[in-house]
Order: sequence, then C-alpha cells, then structure tokens
Amino acid sequence: MDFGILSVIIFLPMFVAFSMLILPVGAKGTRNAAFITSIVIFALVGYVYYNFEISGYMQFREHYTWIATYGINYSLGIDGFSFIILMLIATLIPSAYLWLWDGRTKGYWVSMLLIQTGITGTLFSQDLILFYFFWEAMLLPVFMIIGMFGTGNRVFSTIKITVYTILGSLFMLISILYLGVAFFHNYGFWSFALNDIVQITSLSRTEEIWLFFGFMIAFAIKIPLFPFHTWLLETYSNSPTGGVFLLSSIMAKLGVYGIVRFVMPIFPELYKEFAPIFVWLGIFGLIYFGIAAMMQVNIKKMFAYSSASHLGFIVTGIFSLNVYGMTGAAYLIIAHAMATGGLFLLVGKMEYSIGIKAIPALGGIAKKAPVFTVFFGIMLLCIVGLPGTNGFVSEFLIILGAFGFTPSAGIISALTVLIAASFMFWMFQRAILSDSGNDVSQMKDLNFKEIAGMIPLAFLIIAMGVYPDWFFYKIEPTIQHYLIDILEIRN
Amino acid sequence: MNIPDFIYLLPLFFVGFGAISMMIISTFKSVTIKKGAFFTLVFLIMSFFANLYNLNSTDEVYSVYPFIDVFNKMIIVDTYSDYFSTILILGAILTILIGLHYLERHKEFTVEFFSLFLFSVFGMMLLVHANELITAFVSLEITSLSLYVMIGFEKVIDRRVEASYRYLVLGSLAGVFFLLGTAFIYGATGTTTLGTIGDLSLNTFTANIPLLMIGATMVLITFLFKITAFPFQNWALDVYDGAPLPVTAYMAATFKAAIFGFVLRLFIVDFDLVHNFWDELLVYIIILTLSYGSFLAIIQKSLKRMLVASSIVHTGYLLIAFTSISALGESAASSIIFYLVAYFLSAVGAFGLIAYISSDDHLRITYDDFRGFAKIRPYMAAMLSIFMLSLAGIPSTIGFIGKFYIFTGAIESGNTILAVVAIIATFISVYYYFKLIAVMYFYRSAEMTDVPPLKGVAPLVIAVIAIAIVWGGVGNTLVAYFPGVDFLIDMAKLSYESLFVG
Repeated sequence: MDFGILSVIIFLPMFVAFSMLILPVGAKGTRNAAFITSIVIFALVGYVYYNFEISGYMQFREHYTWIATYGINYSLGIDGFSFIILMLIATLIPSAYLWLWDGRTKGYWVSMLLIQTGITGTLFSQDLILFYFFWEAMLLPVFMIIGMFGTGNRVFSTIKITVYTILGSLFMLISILYLGVAFFHNYGFWSFALNDIVQITSLSRTEEIWLFFGFMIAFAIKIPLFPFHTWLLETYSNSPTGGVFLLSSIMAKLGVYGIVRFVMPIFPELYKEFAPIFVWLGIFGLIYFGIAAMMQVNIKKMFAYSSASHLGFIVTGIFSLNVYGMTGAAYLIIAHAMATGGLFLLVGKMEYSIGIKAIPALGGIAKKAPVFTVFFGIMLLCIVGLPGTNGFVSEFLIILGAFGFTPSAGIISALTVLIAASFMFWMFQRAILSDSGNDVSQMKDLNFKEIAGMIPLAFLIIAMGVYPDWFFYKIEPTIQHYLIDILEIRN
Repeated sequence: MNIPDFIYLLPLFFVGFGAISMMIISTFKSVTIKKGAFFTLVFLIMSFFANLYNLNSTDEVYSVYPFIDVFNKMIIVDTYSDYFSTILILGAILTILIGLHYLERHKEFTVEFFSLFLFSVFGMMLLVHANELITAFVSLEITSLSLYVMIGFEKVIDRRVEASYRYLVLGSLAGVFFLLGTAFIYGATGTTTLGTIGDLSLNTFTANIPLLMIGATMVLITFLFKITAFPFQNWALDVYDGAPLPVTAYMAATFKAAIFGFVLRLFIVDFDLVHNFWDELLVYIIILTLSYGSFLAIIQKSLKRMLVASSIVHTGYLLIAFTSISALGESAASSIIFYLVAYFLSAVGAFGLIAYISSDDHLRITYDDFRGFAKIRPYMAAMLSIFMLSLAGIPSTIGFIGKFYIFTGAIESGNTILAVVAIIATFISVYYYFKLIAVMYFYRSAEMTDVPPLKGVAPLVIAVIAIAIVWGGVGNTLVAYFPGVDFLIDMAKLSYESLFVG
C-alpha cells in the first residue's frame, strides 16, 4: 500500500496512452498495450480487493499537497461504494477491449486509455477541486472519441454532449468554489477536502439550496435525469461502440456516485428534504424513458432510453433513504453496467457486421448466430429483472426501498418493471428470434475473443443473482455508514 | 544595500539601447530580417537576465527609486515592476521567435520593425516602472506610437493602414483623457507622484475629492480603452483584426499585461478612496464586457477575429479580480498577475501558431479552412488544441488555475453574481474554442498540403509554451523544488508586497 496503488491505477493508462502517442507504434501495438494495461489494472484491483477492509470508512488513502496557497490537495481514497465501481471498471474494460479487438485505429485506443484515467481519477478523489479536475478532464477523450470515430452527425453530437456536460460542471465548479470560500470564512484557512467541507456550518438555507442544485445539475446531466436527457439520444446512437459502452456502463454511474459521495455528506439535511422530488423524478424517468424506448425503431436508441430508464431507477434507490433502496441501487449500478454494457457491445457487433440498426429490418439472427443470441438473452433477462440474475436482486431491493420510502412509490415502481419487460421481449422477438425473411446473412457468430470477453459478464450476472450475499458484505458497512453517520437515519 | 543604482536600470537600458542600435543597424543593407531578429533577441535576453539578477539579488522584496536626485521618484524599481518586466520581456521574446517566420515571408517588413518593436517593449517596461502619472503617459505614448507604425507596417495592404489610422485617432483621443485626468488629479492634490496622491487624498482639508474622482475616472477611461473593455470593444476587434498576426498577438497578450501592470499599481497604491465608486461602475462594465465579448466571439467566422473577441472576454475576467482588490488586496492582485501569465502563454501560443500557419498565404482564415488540419499537421493541431483548452479554462491547463483564482476571489469578496456571469461566459467560450478542435480533428479535407511543417526554433518554442501551460495546470506535486503553480502565485504575492515597501 505504500507505493500508492490508487495513483498507479489512475495514471498507468494515461502513461501508456502518452507513450503510445510518442512512440511509433501502430494500431495493433497500441491495442495490445491497452489490453495489457487493463489486465495489469485488473490485477492491481485484485490486490485492492484482497486488502480491502470491510468497514464504512476511507481506505488506501494518499495525500499530497498540490496548490498550497489554496489548500488544494491531491487526496485519494476509496470506501465500499467506490470500491464496487472500481471492481466494475476493472472487470468491464478488459472485456470490452476483447470486443473492440479488430479494426480500430491508434487514436481510438489512446482515447479509451485516457477515459479510463479520467474515470478512476474521478472515483478516487477526496478533494473537491481534484474531483472537478478529473471530472472535466474525462470529457476531452470522450469528445475526441465520439468526434473522430462516431457515426452519423457525429460532430454535432460531440459538441452537444460536451457543451451540455460542461454547462453542468461549471455550475458545480461555482458551488465548489463557494463552499471553499465558506470554509475559509468559517475556519480561517483554505481547504477543499471533502472531510473539511462537510464541517461548514455558516451557510444559510438559501445558499445551501443554491449550492445543492449546483451540484445536482452537474450530476443529473451526466446520469441523465429527466429533464436533462436531451443529449442522450444522439450521443448514444452516434457514438462508436467503445464510447457508448463506457458512457452507458460507467460514466453515467459516476453521476450517481457523485451524488452519494459529495451531495449526501455536504448537504445531508437538504438531501433528506428533497429526497421525495428525486424519488419521484427517478420513477418518472423510469416510466418516461421506458415508454420512449418502446417507441424506438433504432435498436441503439432503444437501448439508450432503456439505459436512462434504469438510471432513473437507481436514482430512486439512492434517494429512498433506507438500506434496501441504497443497497439495491449500488447493486443495480453493477448489474446495469454489465447488462447494458454487454448489450451495447453485442449491438455494436451486429451493426458492424450487417450495418443495420433498425429493428424491423432485422430478424433471424438467432439462426445465424446462436452463441450471440444466448448472450444477448442473458443480458436482456438481467435488464428485465428475471429471478436468478443480479438485475432481479437489485430491482427487488429498490422496490422494497421505495416501499419503505412511501408505499405508493413502491407500487408504481413495481408496476413499471413491466414496461422494461414488454419492450425488451418485443424487441428480442422481432430482431433476434423471428424469421422475418430479411437478409442477415452477413451476421457472424461470436469468435473466441468475443466469447472470452462476454463470459465474465454473463457469469457475474448469474453469480450475483444467485449468491447476492457474497457481494453485499463488502458494501453494506459503507451504506450503513452513510445512513447512520451522515444522514442520521436509523431503521 | 550596496547595489549601485544603475544595476536596477540595466534591464531598461538594454532594451532602450537596443532600440536605438537597431535603428542604426537597420541602415546596413546586409542585415536581413533574420539577423535583425537575432540582434533583437540578444538585447532582449540581456535585459531578461539583468532583470532576473535584480529579482534574485535579494531574497526579500525590494523597492528603490534609482537616481533619486535626477529622476525624483519618477521611476521605481521594485519586485513588482521587475516581475512584470520579466513577463513583458518573455512576451517580446516569444513574439519574435514565433513571429519570425511570418516577418520573413512578408516582404514589406524591414529591419526597422525591430527597432520599433524594441521601442514598444521599452515603453511598456517604463510603464510598469513608472511612479508618476506624466511618466506613465510618456511611456504609454512611446508604446502606442510604436504600435501604430507596427500595425501599418505592411503599407500595401489597405486593411493594415486603416487599422493603423483608426488606432492612431482613437488611441490619441484616449490619451487625451489620461492627460486631462492627470491635470484634474494634480488640481485636486497638487502632485502627480504615486503614493503621494494617496496620502494627500486622505487629507480631506487640502484635497478636492470630487475633482480627484473625476480625474481618476478619466484615467480609468483610458485604461478601459487600452485593455479593450466594454464601451471600447468594437475598435479593438477591427484594429486587432487589421494588424499583422504577430503584432496582434503582441498587443493582445503582452501590451495588455503592461497596462494592467501600471493600473494595478495605481489602484492599489493610490486610489483607495475611489474604490467604492468605481467598483460599482466596474460591475456593470464587466457584465457588459463579458456578455458582449462572448457574443462577438461566437458570431465570428474568422479565427483571428474570434481570438481577438475572446481576448475581450478575458479582459472581463481580469476586471473581475480588479473589483475584488478593495476587499481582498493581496490575493486578488496576485490572481490578476497569475491570470495575466496564464492568458499570455495561451494567447501567444494560439496567435503565434496561427500566424505561422497563415504566413505563406492568407487562405487559412476561417474555421472551415482548418478542416482536417490534424491529419496533415498532427503536431501543430495538437499544440493548437492545448492552447484552445487553456483559453477555455479546462482543467489540466494553466487557464483553469487562473480562472480558479479569479472566481474564488470574486466569491470571496461577495461578488458571486460576477462569478456566475463569468461562468456563463466560460461556458459560451467552450463552444467557440472547441469548435476549432472539432474542425481540425473531425473532418477530412484533401487540399491542405500547402502548410509548411514547422521549421527552426518555432516548434521548440511552441512546445515549451505548451509544456508550460500543462505544467502550470498540473502543478508541482510531481517534481519537488521545480517552480510550479505555487511558485508563480508566491512570486505574485511578493511583488504585491513590494508595493508597500519604502
């Protein structure tokens, strides 16, 4: 632990990316380097897993002074909540790389590596300025990867998502600075460390509300929460597979992570007070995006909306203020990342081999590609929430949590699970199973690498569904800590 | 202290002597532009080291009036002025290094250009050393007169001549305001020496406060004109656009720093009394500067005009820190100085590189001309992207840290509304800066083979600037004892302290 393992996890991909840029390595070499990097990081995360203590507090802390004048520190640490997302990243990225194996350019791999640095940096930061730093820096490789390798009107999409996200993060920046100044007035020295900022007592209620929403806008855009979702459709449908994979499965979760990590401890009172709004906003998103997904003809757009719909559900979970809802949300973060990430990879492959995205133009894939269909089915069942998958466990818990919050929320969210089931099965039937007579002869089944990439995801989806306790015990102390120590709720 | 007075004046002397020497040297036929640039650089580098010597000669802050019998406190040499001089000389050096290619390609430029250039540097350095309003006026005019000619140097191009005349007429008008303001201040307090004005204005029996206010406001008008703040932004767009690119770069980055150098001193040392009155006025000026500047920047098709318009927005950011001075003092002043350095680096890089790219022909003017540029010249495109990111204030560049200081200062001094307006302006700026990156990387274009690869020292200089920008944004955790963000801000604080010594 004394060699700063978290820093290595953050900066190794960046280091590799810049080395690849400077060295005269081709696309293949870069890809191999990227894959090896992701495996090394997987091993490092395994080390973290092994040494991770089951408690609700920050571990693996690293602390260096960065800008002394303003008390800005390079300060890292993880607790149970960031830990599960870290595990997720470590597992998903090598799998994704196996899927993206052929036909990508050097710039693509470099961007992927840089995105990984941004994501993990955001996840470990314990200083608000450092967090903002990674949060914004993460955007640049996303900007590049969509703009350079996307499809359709990619330039417009990439400008739109960039401008949108930066709008949100700038409001967050103002809030962060305001908090820093408030801390300075309170205690007479500068600090932006999360542990210090939570101790501010001098803010008036009006100020707190403004700041609360300053943070929430940034995170709501990233998730995206209704009504900040208008970037979603174009970005997801025009992004290259790798980009949309990272956006949907990991970066969207960072919005949720940000709420739990920063908004909750800094504004515990407001968090409780505004919880109903966000619970209902989440449920509304669940329904709204679910219906929107049902209407889509383009399969990628459909998954974009279905993804947003589930993120609404996650938001409901984290604002439910009880242990079921929050644990369920944490669980759904993993489940959803695997299932949606997997689905986007599968659809990306389909798009790549037959070049069709419209559901009516597909059909009969099952005959051409049985292995493909099996994995597709597993991911889909996870999204729908079939018992035996981790999707079921998490959705069940969130519904319980919503019940605990208020029974009507529980009932409505339970009913809306049907929406997902209906559009997913309908799509599955039309696009994959039925023999529609369309020409899909170009479709190839999965090759060895792709199967190898998909197996961990499928395995985890089922394993986590069958033995949830195995995974809960690492996060539960953290959730208890949030509820009891930060929000001061006992139930 | 045993340092002889003339050591303090050596940096000024080298540049002034260089200017006169260049005038003589330029009469020789055998001196080419390249040689002229070389001589100019020699003078500038000598001055630079003399300056560093002064800064390092004592660990503490210093403030002296050299040759007090002769100059009678007209010129001051302190940490503050030397810090600014360092920035100015660096700016001049970088301008020459990057702009050389442009100057060589355009036949109208002769070696006299360097003489004028050095005169303008001399004027600016004198300006930050000025401790008296008339001296300030004279040095301001030295700079301005040189700039008038430098703008119109390519006399065959109508736009240049037009810009030159426009600047001459309007600049003189602004200068008149300065003189009149000085006269009023003299009338109110009986002195034009900085420091003394402040002391006397506190003495309410002898000082005529309304007259002082009027005088100070007139000085403010000149100041706003020179830094292209709100009511005067339109002339800036045309003049800067009409000027040759290296000169535009020089005016936008270096000249602005010099003006701020003097006015900051004026504000901090003397005009305590008029703060309340000005601060309120400035709030409106800032909001208008930011919003109108953003509007101008967003509608431009030409890259050069966009950069010029965005420099108006950056002026707005700097003015925000200005309003915080009365509440915060040191940290606001140092944030201005830091932001000047940050903006200066990014702007010199951006303008310089675009000057380089468009030096062979004038085809690359609009955004569309840069379509697919990254494919043909990946190095230049990457560097240009770094400069754009820094101008937009994206983290991991020095521009972000600069904005961080300014916005924090604004909130700290209670001007949260200004911080919010500035954030919105920043948000808009993301659009016009990112547009260039998008255009360079995301399009393919075939007919872009005519851009020469970077030759000579230019790639090195550009790389150094880019590294400085990234280093300034990432800070100094990586390498201990290497100057980073903290060093710059500490230096700025030292120079602020030196204003109150002696």
